[in-house]
Amino acid sequence: MSAEATAYLTIFLMAAVTYGTRILGAELMSFIRITPRIEAFLKSMAISVMVAIVASAVAQGGFRENTATLVAVAVMAVTRSAIAAVTAAMATAAAWSWLI
Amino acid sequence: MPNSQTANVQLTMAGAVRGARSLGPISLFVIPFGIAFGAAAIERGVTPDQSIAMSLSVFSAAAQFAALDFWEGPLPTLSLLLTVLAVGTRLILMGATLAPWLNRLSRPKRLLALSVLSDVNFADSYDAFRRDDRDVGRLVGGGLALCICWALGTAIGVIAGASLGNLERFGIDVVMVAFFAAIAVGQWEGLQDLLPSLVAATVAVLGLTLLPPGWNIVLAAIAGGIAGVLWHEC
Repeated sequence: MSAEATAYLTIFLMAAVTYGTRILGAELMSFIRITPRIEAFLKSMAISVMVAIVASAVAQGGFRENTATLVAVAVMAVTRSAIAAVTAAMATAAAWSWLI
Repeated sequence: MPNSQTANVQLTMAGAVRGARSLGPISLFVIPFGIAFGAAAIERGVTPDQSIAMSLSVFSAAAQFAALDFWEGPLPTLSLLLTVLAVGTRLILMGATLAPWLNRLSRPKRLLALSVLSDVNFADSYDAFRRDDRDVGRLVGGGLALCICWALGTAIGVIAGASLGNLERFGIDVVMVAFFAAIAVGQWEGLQDLLPSLVAATVAVLGLTLLPPGWNIVLAAIAGGIAGVLWHEC
């Protein structure tokens, strides 16, 4: 197979694998009755995914990035607006880059 | 989940418009990430057509950046696909989390709607479904907005990536993490979320150095879910 064809086949397979992961969770759950225990699991898993993404980023982030994340948390806690939180975090990081 | 909270799930155009509106601003911030991917892909020898095709069909920043690490010589397709699978495992968990609502739709509708599932519209839809906006169109509209911006960014990146310079000075690099932090704060319901969050954060950070890329999030999500069950039952 030519390198070109192999590349496109690989991209197609990447897309197929990723689509498989997108549909698999809901498909598996269609065979499971949602008991209060499973509901508690899913609910905690939802917040855990988000906390895990943030925690990994904070562990790898510098002072600038982590200050911006902290600003997002504070602004969200006060305003309850995700857009306001993200904008404030961005402004913090941009200002940091300009000033320092 | 009580039936009343998952009844009347729909998939409508109006819902899609709400999803696209809700994630419109964040989607615009995805463009610079697309640019970064496009520029990196060209550097690794991926052609412009292949880069754009990849962004449209795979639509996963994590999977695509991971794939670039493998992109040389004769492609090591199997290890590349295993990495894509590992990175995508968290999508399985997100799909399962949305299942109480998604599975109220017919299977064809569900399979179509899930084709644009990503971290960002997962967070937005989960939030909306729990606030009683039970329209899966929201997931689709948000996902399409994200996917279009991701592919558009990629196209700009492959054409002009090298000449745009560093986008960090605009603070764009902090957008995604700030978004997830904000949604997590918005979802916070009190003490019962504390234990899962602490467990998830600990596992995610420890897993960073101990596990292959992506697996730390998966393990953290499962550990956090188990912690939530223990809290619920003890």
